[in-house]
Amino acid sequence: MMDISDLIKSISLFKPETTLIVTFMLAMILDMAFKKSKNIAGYIAIAGLVIAGIFLFQQTGVNYKAFANLLVIDSFGQFMKFIVLMSSLIIIVFSFFSNELHNAHTKLGEYYTLIIGMTFGMFLLVGSANLIMIYVAIETMSISSYVLAGYTREVKRASEASLKYVIFGAVSSGIMIYGISILFGLTGSLNLFEINQFLSVNNVATLPLLLSGLMILSGFGYKISAVPFHFWTPDVYEGAPVTITAYLSVASKAAGFAVLLRFFKTGLLDSVPGTSEAWQLLGNIDWHYVIAVLAVLTMTLGNLVAVWQTNMKRLLAYSSIAHAGYLLMAVSVMNDNGVSAVLIYFVFYMLMNLGAFFVVQLIANKLDSENIDEYNGLGYRSPVLAVCMTVFLISLAGLPPTSGFIGKLYVFSSVINSGYIWLAIIGVLNSVVSLYYYAKIIRNMYLRDVESAKTKLVFSPVTIAIVLMLAIPSLLFGVYFTPIVEWANYSMNIFVGN
Amino acid sequence: MEIGLTHYLVISAILFSLGLYGIITRKHAIMVLMGLELVLNAANINFIAFARYGGMNIEGHIAAIFVIILAAAEAAIALAIVLNIYQNFRHVNIDEVDDLKG
Amino acid sequence: MLGTMNFPILTWITFLPILGILIILLVPSGKDEKGQELSKKIIRWVAVGITFVQLILALVIYLNYNPALAGVNNLKTFQFVEKMSWITATLPMVGNINIEYFMGIDGISVPMILLTAIICFVAVFPSFGIKKAVKGYFAMYLMLDLAMMGVFCALDFFLFYLFWELMLLPMYFLIGVWGGPRKEYAAIKFFIYTLVGSVFMLLVMIGLYHSTGSFNIIEMMNAANFRGDSIFGGLNTTIRYVAFMGLFIGFAIKVPLFPFHTWLPDAHVEAPTPISVILAGVLLKMGAYGMIRIAFPIFPDAFGYFQTLIAWLGMVSIVYGALCALGQHKVGKRDFKKLIAYSSVSHMGLVILGLASMRPEGTVGAIFQMFNHGIITAMLFMIVGVIYDRAHTRGLDDFGGLAKKMPIYTGIMAVAFFAAIGLPGMSGFISEVLVFLGAFKSYPVLTIISGLSIILGAAYMLWALQKIFFGVLPEKWQGPWDPTRLIYKTDDVNGLEMVALIPLAFILIFLGVYPNPILNLMTGSVNQFIEIMKPFVYIGGL
Repeated sequence: MMDISDLIKSISLFKPETTLIVTFMLAMILDMAFKKSKNIAGYIAIAGLVIAGIFLFQQTGVNYKAFANLLVIDSFGQFMKFIVLMSSLIIIVFSFFSNELHNAHTKLGEYYTLIIGMTFGMFLLVGSANLIMIYVAIETMSISSYVLAGYTREVKRASEASLKYVIFGAVSSGIMIYGISILFGLTGSLNLFEINQFLSVNNVATLPLLLSGLMILSGFGYKISAVPFHFWTPDVYEGAPVTITAYLSVASKAAGFAVLLRFFKTGLLDSVPGTSEAWQLLGNIDWHYVIAVLAVLTMTLGNLVAVWQTNMKRLLAYSSIAHAGYLLMAVSVMNDNGVSAVLIYFVFYMLMNLGAFFVVQLIANKLDSENIDEYNGLGYRSPVLAVCMTVFLISLAGLPPTSGFIGKLYVFSSVINSGYIWLAIIGVLNSVVSLYYYAKIIRNMYLRDVESAKTKLVFSPVTIAIVLMLAIPSLLFGVYFTPIVEWANYSMNIFVGN
Repeated sequence: MEIGLTHYLVISAILFSLGLYGIITRKHAIMVLMGLELVLNAANINFIAFARYGGMNIEGHIAAIFVIILAAAEAAIALAIVLNIYQNFRHVNIDEVDDLKG
Repeated sequence: MLGTMNFPILTWITFLPILGILIILLVPSGKDEKGQELSKKIIRWVAVGITFVQLILALVIYLNYNPALAGVNNLKTFQFVEKMSWITATLPMVGNINIEYFMGIDGISVPMILLTAIICFVAVFPSFGIKKAVKGYFAMYLMLDLAMMGVFCALDFFLFYLFWELMLLPMYFLIGVWGGPRKEYAAIKFFIYTLVGSVFMLLVMIGLYHSTGSFNIIEMMNAANFRGDSIFGGLNTTIRYVAFMGLFIGFAIKVPLFPFHTWLPDAHVEAPTPISVILAGVLLKMGAYGMIRIAFPIFPDAFGYFQTLIAWLGMVSIVYGALCALGQHKVGKRDFKKLIAYSSVSHMGLVILGLASMRPEGTVGAIFQMFNHGIITAMLFMIVGVIYDRAHTRGLDDFGGLAKKMPIYTGIMAVAFFAAIGLPGMSGFISEVLVFLGAFKSYPVLTIISGLSIILGAAYMLWALQKIFFGVLPEKWQGPWDPTRLIYKTDDVNGLEMVALIPLAFILIFLGVYPNPILNLMTGSVNQFIEIMKPFVYIGGL
């Protein structure tokens, strides 16, 4: 049980999260104090995130089960927390340039505060090793995100988005907690380490275990928008402010994948030290196939439906479902190679997806529309932006020499190495389909309305610089990715005790 | 006949099913949220029953308390959002809140 | 020897276009009409300069290449080798991931590099006719140039794949932005078709990497480097057959081999003239080159298994292409470009037939045919471009009796047509004879059928020649092409077009009389290639 030295050490390792809580409060208070400044909470949030990042960096190499096994501090968690942190940071910067947010509200204090709250929830989720902790963390991030999705509340579609989000979210987390309660009954514990130990010693009935596992998966599946828990994704992505859409598509997904991987590795798989080969499964259920089937469904549906979309946000929503499918492929192999592929993929996915959404936001600022036809002739109206968008799209499609290709390379590599050739073939065929709709946008930008006398679109140098800061790494990591791979390999070991 | 673990589990299973049924069939947003509460309470009954009869530790009770708290928080947010829907749409029929399609 | 010197000539010849792209992007577009004209002019001549330097470098490579060293699966006999570590990272289970920047050439790549340099240089001149978005056009053009050159130089599979895919996007834009009326359709069709092929290649590449622990193409050719328990370990396993088919289809789409050819006529018809030239001249060769460099020697056992099927596909392509070209004679729909596109399918089928024979003369013939076909179709497409620019139509029915109006043009065209038919004295004759000689020993029946299709080839080519140049000049073309005499001072080909066409015609005739300069390059490498394949394949006449 918890003794005092554990508590002290735990608290010292809880500094990043503590920083976020302090930031949350400071942002709220100072926002009230400085009524004139519109973005004051945003600046505080940025400062808080940077400090949290520094504390997070100090935890390099630490493996510890904090607060009596409630939270795990490990390098895997650190990696995922960095992804979450980076995307929060980038999203806050995006928000400074969002017209739809600034038109809807005179002050954005709550908005930035809620983003910090959501970041906090995701930090908890990434580290949790206790089912109730997982539930609490998911609710913490969900509750913030429900509000954020409908933040421009006078806009009809935003309120619709937030309604759909809250209904689907609450239902799936309800199903999840029911699954947790069954798992609790089966194993007598809520702690993943103890569940693991119990399962490795005792035989439990297969059907309830499968059922509870699937119910818990529905909660995670909802966060990563895997089919069949994806129904909310297109509507919410389309209705929510672009910044929040982008945020949900990256950070929320990263946290979801982190908890998914940790749940399997810590809870359901035999974790004898030194077995970096395939993880052994507990409880006679072949989770490989469950996840592999989910992966196939997710990417196929995402890609096929995306082909018909005409709204950019909706298109990118389905594309993000498809990307969840690719990532699930890497999860389904259930070994350390797969984990490292997920980590590598996420770094690149963050860059390219946030970049694409930022371009959508900038275009929406100018043209007040997210229709794909508004992109006609963009290549001639705003050359730099269009080139960057092309880089993001090519990267999302996974063509070299962009970073998206490297992500896909590692995912397929882990899949092939584990012998799932059929899965890899479905995966690559999917990426061919995805090219079709990404190319549709490129076509509109360059092949349509070439000679039209449409006016040039001029964007402020700062926004162009931000786009470039995302586009250039997307390209550079495509030809030199050693640092990311090294970092991911360093971080792929999920701490399982022992 | 003595009331045992099985009885509680059956009750909770029935509650869970009723809750899901309500969520799926009801059109009124508030009714959907009520169905949701049933699901959460089914989980609560499970937790308590397992803790009581399974010879398990206090974790089950704590879990139930957490679920109650979070359910309250979630309900508060959900009701606020439903209120907002009412202001925008002048009704809270979920099936008719469908501007977003495709 | 330059190869032993420290001058990284392959890097230079490959990445020189980057310099051109940078210069082109930095050229200001000009404020007024005059400035814009000047800027266009600068951009064009930058492209000419860059490709010219490339051509010089290719000639330097050609002159310094030592044909005695064979290459193929022997690293020591590769020339101009540049090898350095590029990406290294530790991975669990597989050990180190090690991607190298590894370039080098042998007798199979030298003719291709020469061909690429020549075609890219001559295709710049018809590009002068491009009027819109000149800057983007030439940037894309040079990027395509870079990717093609890289494919022929790379010896690391990862690097090869990078260049292979890099080619897609410029090609998409070049067809899509500057193409004909159905450009969007043609561009996306090209894109998707090629991508389908290359994603399978990607999977095989990953599998090969996991089996050998390296991306080095040369090491993959040695069965000893495969770990016994890996996916592609052992010989004659089902998975090796599947993988070979994956690679083969990937390359066959590019060749294009029947039944994967349907993208080609669309792409050719819609692409602007210079891009058609490059597409037919170089891009199609990459498919066959990939087979020789990668698919066949890495999976010789699987090739042996599918050899007859491949020979059949080659034969079907030859006949089908020729028949389709003949089919272009439906009145009203006769498209000159489509005619040449289908003749390409036919001629590339010949390459595959020659390769499938696995005889030295057949293989040498196949590679020589690749070179010749590159030059011939490049010429043919430019010839179409010349009249299309003037008459704005490619319909064969719209012309007749041009011989009187354009005598020089008729002469050049006759050279190209006769070379395409395979008339003795032209280079096409030599390569066709070599292919048939080799193929006959391995697959006599298929060869006879294919040989008959040569007659079809002669039929459609001569028919087209007759239709355009003889007979009565249609009334609408009676006058000069350009009554104002501003663009076209004479009715015949102008100087710029001659610069592009005459050297190609010269090459065709010269190699037809004296083919040794090219043949000598590759005999050593081809023999080495056959040595690798010998234990696994059927070779007739031995």
